[in-house]
Amino acid sequence: MSKSSQVAVQKVVQKRRVWTGARSVAEAVKLADVDVIAAYPIRPYTGIMNALATMIAGGDFYAEYLVCDSEHSQFEVVKHASAVGARTFVGSSGTGLIYGSEAVIVTALGQLPVVGIVGCRSLDDPGNFGMEWNDAFLFRDVGWLMAWSKDPQEALEMTLIAYRIAEDSRVLLPHFVALDGAAITHIASPVTPPTKEQVTKFLPPYKPLHPLDPAYEVVSKAMHIAPSLIGPEQRKSLDAAMKRAKNIVIPEVWKAWGNMFGRDCSPFFEETQMEDADYAILSMGAYSRNVDYVVEKMRNSGIKVGSLRLKYLRPFPTEELARALDGVKGVGVVDFSYSLGSPGNGSVLYNEVRAALYESKQRPLIMDYIFAGGREMTLPELENSIQALIESVKKGSVDKPVRWVTVRGEDE
Amino acid sequence: MVSPELEELTWLAVHGRGVINTAHSSQIALTLSNAGVAAGRDAFYYMRYDDSPERVQLPFIYYAVFGNPRIRVILPEEVEPVGSVFDTVAVLDSSLIVKSTSQRALLLDGAKRNAALVVNTSLKPSVILKLVRKYGCAQDWEGRIITLRAKKYNQNIALGMIGAITKAMEPLYSIDDVIESMVEVEGKTDSVDAVRSAYEEADSLKVSLKAEDCEQYNLKSSVGEVKSSMGTKRWWDREAYMILKERVANAPTYEQRIKSMPRWEEIAPALIEFGPRVSERNIGFKTSFARTFRPVIDKNKCIDCKLCYVFCPDGAIDFDPIKVNYEYCKGCGICARMCGSKAISMPHELKALEGLDEEEFLSIREALIEYAY
Repeated sequence: MSKSSQVAVQKVVQKRRVWTGARSVAEAVKLADVDVIAAYPIRPYTGIMNALATMIAGGDFYAEYLVCDSEHSQFEVVKHASAVGARTFVGSSGTGLIYGSEAVIVTALGQLPVVGIVGCRSLDDPGNFGMEWNDAFLFRDVGWLMAWSKDPQEALEMTLIAYRIAEDSRVLLPHFVALDGAAITHIASPVTPPTKEQVTKFLPPYKPLHPLDPAYEVVSKAMHIAPSLIGPEQRKSLDAAMKRAKNIVIPEVWKAWGNMFGRDCSPFFEETQMEDADYAILSMGAYSRNVDYVVEKMRNSGIKVGSLRLKYLRPFPTEELARALDGVKGVGVVDFSYSLGSPGNGSVLYNEVRAALYESKQRPLIMDYIFAGGREMTLPELENSIQALIESVKKGSVDKPVRWVTVRGEDE
Repeated sequence: MVSPELEELTWLAVHGRGVINTAHSSQIALTLSNAGVAAGRDAFYYMRYDDSPERVQLPFIYYAVFGNPRIRVILPEEVEPVGSVFDTVAVLDSSLIVKSTSQRALLLDGAKRNAALVVNTSLKPSVILKLVRKYGCAQDWEGRIITLRAKKYNQNIALGMIGAITKAMEPLYSIDDVIESMVEVEGKTDSVDAVRSAYEEADSLKVSLKAEDCEQYNLKSSVGEVKSSMGTKRWWDREAYMILKERVANAPTYEQRIKSMPRWEEIAPALIEFGPRVSERNIGFKTSFARTFRPVIDKNKCIDCKLCYVFCPDGAIDFDPIKVNYEYCKGCGICARMCGSKAISMPHELKALEGLDEEEFLSIREALIEYAY
């Protein structure tokens, strides 16, 4: 290829495209030059595998693309492929992900840097496919890193960043990137993709430390031995990796990514109007865009409210959160999940935030806005919820900390 | 969907059905969004998430939204865009004019007063106007109808439709923007001619329709306010259950059905109470919107062997006397195949209802290819 045509190609690649979140993740997988992809369809993540299959069939790039017989096989395939040193890609949604859970958990215990997508979907009955985080939250305790993306652009970037973090020799943990079902997977908006050269510089090929290789006579990981022999040490090793990820690797990688594009990439949060905020609305994922919108609207009418978007649920940025919320009097947690019978009968994220702020000197009032069951959040309801928080702070106490928003019927 | 302060948004709704049409619509939305970006606007598109277009025959809607020039994308405030928003409504399958989709009671629900309707059909625009007046409209409409038989230009009907829709959307972006986006972004140089000639040759007709003249005019106004609560009654009360069931069954539009759904206090464990009873059909899931071809039983040939009843996968055929229930029939054609005395024919919906010959799909076999059953 002549030099002038190379320049022309680069210009085209950097042009803005209108992509769905599913398509932009597929483009990220192509840019990352993944070796093994395991697919099984379930809405809403399926679009990613559709796009990848089209790319591979069209000869755009090459990867071993396996259509498995179930989610369980899907996660088994990538687990084994990763163990011999391949860069792997997998994903699922809702109940499908739960069906693969045995392999999901062992992937973490084997310290295999698989990158998986969760297209967040309600757990079933009655045939629900709305957006809810409970499917991903079921794996929050087993050693997977978990990040929530905001839009198709960030879904693309986060997938590339996930590979770099997961494959870092100080971490070696599998990584879920969560895309809010429908809101990101199905809605196309303008995306500016990085070039292949930038990605190659950022993400070198995966060189596993301890691959299973017959040449070195290592063909199996020692799993089937007496339970007490390595069990606790194995888990402690994951714990150390998780801590290193939070304290060292994640900030480092996001900084590197930001430097490449001359941007300031904060690793754990995106803050909107938080400098002098009295009230903070904490959210994750796609609907933080709606929160930002409402917050800006309320700022215009003189209310000191800010929006804080959390990027990582695991590792949870505990000290960073306490610092970010320093001086804030009231926090509203926007949560698309539920945790029935949990402390305070709240949701998952709410309890995580409460636990993280327990040791703060000045604990703010915390309210929980539960948008469960896959129904969309509407702007007036969000605004009403924020008003309730402001009134509680003025009064000094919260009567009803947990609000089931958009639910038909009264509290009992 | 988008910030209310930024007005002057341009909406395109693409109606289609089934797997292959989904791919067509996605290509249409992608190409036109990129054309919008090429013309210096923001654009985004999405498919109605509630639709199941990975399933065969089922209708769906794709939306593409263009900013003039910028959009701030926030997420769906409602399941559907509210109010009169659509500038262009495109229909890939003409049977969708007579058959409402699962989400919108009428084809032109939510269309602006001056909206353009683009239909992939062999029928003339004047015929389409008659159909729309009868089945698809309940509002004042002073726009135009653009028709073309997209298959004439390419087996991939998306290309012809891109040309025709561009004709409807024109001041927003030009045909040159479309060609540029196809060549530069998608690298499709060979399909440019089809798009350009479809753009030039599509039939166009200015229309003027008064709401009172539409046959569906009374559909909206006849619906009363639906009660949102039953007071103190609970799900275990048989009377309460009957009230709820009737309330849900009688609400004609999607929006009203949602409003008349039970509150949490009224919901039975696992929703069992709301399922159909023995020998009843599910009132909450009438599936006829999936039908393009309808089975018609010729009573003179029928020997009453009940084979169609046995093989109908949806239980859409009544046993005695043998009769097709068109509220539940999906038009799969299995009954016609199983019928030993060839008493069941499968005419196109437009043929069965209006006697119109739609060349777009001459046979169910062609539809099989088109929709990939």
